[in-house]
Amino acid sequence: MTISRRALNWGLATSLAAPSIWGAGRAAGETIKIGMVLPVTGPAADNGKYSLAGAKIALDRVNTAGGVLGKQIELVTEDDQTTNPGAVLAFSKLAAQPDIVAFLGSIRSTQNHAMAGDILKAGKPVCFGGTDPKLTKLGNPWLIRFRPNDTYSGRVIATYGVETLAKKNWAIVHSTDAFGTSGFNALSTSLEKIGAKVAIDQGYPNQSQDFTPVVLAIKSSGADVIGSYFTFDNDLAIFARQLRQLGVTLPWVGSPSIIAVSALKLAGSALYGSYGVADFTIDANPESKAFAESYTAASKLRPDNYSSWTYDAIGVLCDAMKRAGTTEPNKLRAAILATRGYKGAEGEYNFDEFGDGLHGYNIVRNEKGSIVFDKHIEFTD
Amino acid sequence: MDFFLQLLFTGVGIGAVYALVALGFVLIFRATNVVNFAQGEFSMVAAYLMVVFAVDLGLPYWVAFLISIAGMALLGAAFNLLVYYPLRNRGFLPVLISTIGASIFLGNTTLALYGPQPQVLAGWLDTPGFQLGPIYLDSQYLVIVTVTLALVLFQYWLFEHTLLGKKLQATSQDKEMAALLGVPVALMIMFTFVYSAVLGGIAGILVAPVLFVSIQMGSAIALKAFAATIIGGFGDVAGAIIGGFAIGIVETLGAAYISVPFKDAFAFVVLIAFLALRPQGIFGERVAEKA
Repeated sequence: MTISRRALNWGLATSLAAPSIWGAGRAAGETIKIGMVLPVTGPAADNGKYSLAGAKIALDRVNTAGGVLGKQIELVTEDDQTTNPGAVLAFSKLAAQPDIVAFLGSIRSTQNHAMAGDILKAGKPVCFGGTDPKLTKLGNPWLIRFRPNDTYSGRVIATYGVETLAKKNWAIVHSTDAFGTSGFNALSTSLEKIGAKVAIDQGYPNQSQDFTPVVLAIKSSGADVIGSYFTFDNDLAIFARQLRQLGVTLPWVGSPSIIAVSALKLAGSALYGSYGVADFTIDANPESKAFAESYTAASKLRPDNYSSWTYDAIGVLCDAMKRAGTTEPNKLRAAILATRGYKGAEGEYNFDEFGDGLHGYNIVRNEKGSIVFDKHIEFTD
Repeated sequence: MDFFLQLLFTGVGIGAVYALVALGFVLIFRATNVVNFAQGEFSMVAAYLMVVFAVDLGLPYWVAFLISIAGMALLGAAFNLLVYYPLRNRGFLPVLISTIGASIFLGNTTLALYGPQPQVLAGWLDTPGFQLGPIYLDSQYLVIVTVTLALVLFQYWLFEHTLLGKKLQATSQDKEMAALLGVPVALMIMFTFVYSAVLGGIAGILVAPVLFVSIQMGSAIALKAFAATIIGGFGDVAGAIIGGFAIGIVETLGAAYISVPFKDAFAFVVLIAFLALRPQGIFGERVAEKA
């Protein structure tokens, strides 16, 4: 443990405990407030730290450039405790503050589903990172997505595995929550369309302590490639290690969690040679490189999608406010959905009528711990 | 058969961890008639202490282990003085709530001091595992099972063949009578908390290389250990051990042969079956005699 890391953690804790610090010295009404639901405690607390850091970089950039509509932007945060009830409570607390004009929701689909009812009641734009395709098809106009949904990740995983790796017999490992289940559905549907088959489907409960049954089932299934949708990094790392220990050396193409900073640290060499679909990759474009430089300079960490989507969400929100000339919810939503060609860290945002801003994924490979960009696959249909 | 043996080995390894934590539950329950819901956090704190001493400060593994265990003994003593002792005459519920509060406090304090990112702790042996015919034996699971069995033997010796053990048993069976016979009851309860914290700590340090070190690692283990305690017969040491191993094996085999998504459910299906059919647990008669 280094002094600087401890200092960083205390700084973060202090900031979260008293979020109004960022707006200190400003009288009420002199700032535009954006609410943010994020995990400060629970299994995903480290992800929340990254998400906050990404949002903060965008916030500083906007405020340094003079703010929006003549006002500085202020972030108000609430801890979702990495649980669905925690997320609902956190959003309710934020929604009760009338001067908050928009929100950043969760990167976890299951939490966004849990909050959806309250989001509809609040009637203000909620930018979120969960990738369950259903979220923007619920008939809830306030849910606006800042990551490509699993329809695209499933298609990219399937296309890359079948066409590039020439593997047609798949083992799919996924969490049984909303994210993992929707990922499985998207991947299996895509595989079926291109003539590949699912040899074995292994859903698992989050926070599993052991994956031996899953690994042995894959080993005896005859599968020649693994596709995965893991919700939590520690689950992914335990699976990766047991996979290699039990002698399974199949190629593995995973959802974005396979290249998350925590997963890479925990799993180490067990993830070498694996492939991942990534909405954020440092080398994908000039904007992602610029974001990575800012993020690393500010936090001394390598950025991943936990930080990139919040960075983009703040950027698009502020851009939309400027174009709308107001923070009135309906006009702000319309301005966000009218966004075309916005170049963010995750790619180019072109919102469709459902509220999906991104429509493609990058393919990357883990080269002895380094994440190497391969190619970007964009869909127009 | 190879498939079964591989699963059995894993189930025994996981079960050993549940058994160790369950042992802590039982010892405190026997001494105080209270369930200590911070038992899982003892495991988590010990694992973080190991990360601090073995990883961050780079001390030799065994030195770090001894310092961490000493730290857990101090934590157990402080827990007794601050969480249990002031409320000892206020009935079951206040103490129970106090332990839940302590659990939250320990988790959030560790989070504030160390940060949320999970940490990696190396295993006790340099080699990750051994291939025994078709079976892969994870070296850390071998260590876990060995240490658990050694601690069970130590505990048997302590309780059955030492004066301290007799005093502890007397305290757990009837505090008033024990006090009348000259047993220092408060000291025995203090020792029980210290010993339980050390047991929980050893479990945490043992399992950390397998499950990684995270704030929530203790609660995940404690939930299953609690179920093991009930299955074994609350208050019975042998029952806790058998319950722990039983849950580890049942959930691993259930996941493999029936359904992985329902893996966690198997432990609790067994728990519900026991509560419905044999609420006193496997070794319930002895508890009934005590009552």
